[in-house]
Amino acid sequence: MSETEKNSRAGGPGRLLVAVYALFAVAATGRSTVQILTRFEEAPLAYALSALAAVVYIVATVGLARAGRTSYRVAVACCSLELVGVVAVGLFTLLVPQAFPDDTVWSLFGKGYGFVPLVLPVLGLLWLRRSHPRAARSTESAGSPAERG
Amino acid sequence: MVDGWTTVVQMASLALAVWCGISAFRNRPMLVPHLIGIAVLEVLLLVQLVLSIVLLVEGPRPPDTVTFVSYLVTLVLVPPACAVWGLMERSKWGPAVIAFACLVIPVLMVRLEQLWNASVV
Repeated sequence: MSETEKNSRAGGPGRLLVAVYALFAVAATGRSTVQILTRFEEAPLAYALSALAAVVYIVATVGLARAGRTSYRVAVACCSLELVGVVAVGLFTLLVPQAFPDDTVWSLFGKGYGFVPLVLPVLGLLWLRRSHPRAARSTESAGSPAERG
Repeated sequence: MVDGWTTVVQMASLALAVWCGISAFRNRPMLVPHLIGIAVLEVLLLVQLVLSIVLLVEGPRPPDTVTFVSYLVTLVLVPPACAVWGLMERSKWGPAVIAFACLVIPVLMVRLEQLWNASVV
């Protein structure tokens, strides 16, 4: 039981969030791998950004899925970076489309993916705020935080 | 692509999505019938994989074969992944994850068809 309490961030609705993140990690990794291996020179900036997005999604998935304060900070950092990324790339592709000959996950605010990339970091941050480790300190403080670090 | 089969897989996936959605709303965890549903969907997807491989070997191939194959492989991996998720999460969020995955599969199938038809047509 204490195990499920400790992992409460990854349980319940968090589990769905982790699943969506995992899917995007797979999608972005697959997409960027194919793009970079087969035609990197066509759109280096777009494909490099695809790879960056893939890495962010992977780290965010792990951060959300794992318990502990470090994972929490990692997840917050990744979701924030993601939000900044999708808005920045979204604006950039809207204003300077010629810089991106091919699409990335974040092009036009994630239009190609049903705008999920734009909604996902917001949901992630909301969920992280709701499940802040301080709220679960009574269960957390039992284990030494140093060994987690 | 075998058009009819794609539709069969999409319909089956959507049906499973509706069923798991209802289970989630009714606060049920993932149970054995859901697992059987996932297994059926997996079989349908494996048939799709074999059919596509046969078509790829016989040619003509889509211009972006690498992407096409990666979609095929991803599709086959989705049902086992969401079964594991359902087993880990013994609450209504288990079926919720499966419902989400079953909504994604038809979208992936559409992409698969687009990739295929880019060359054949």
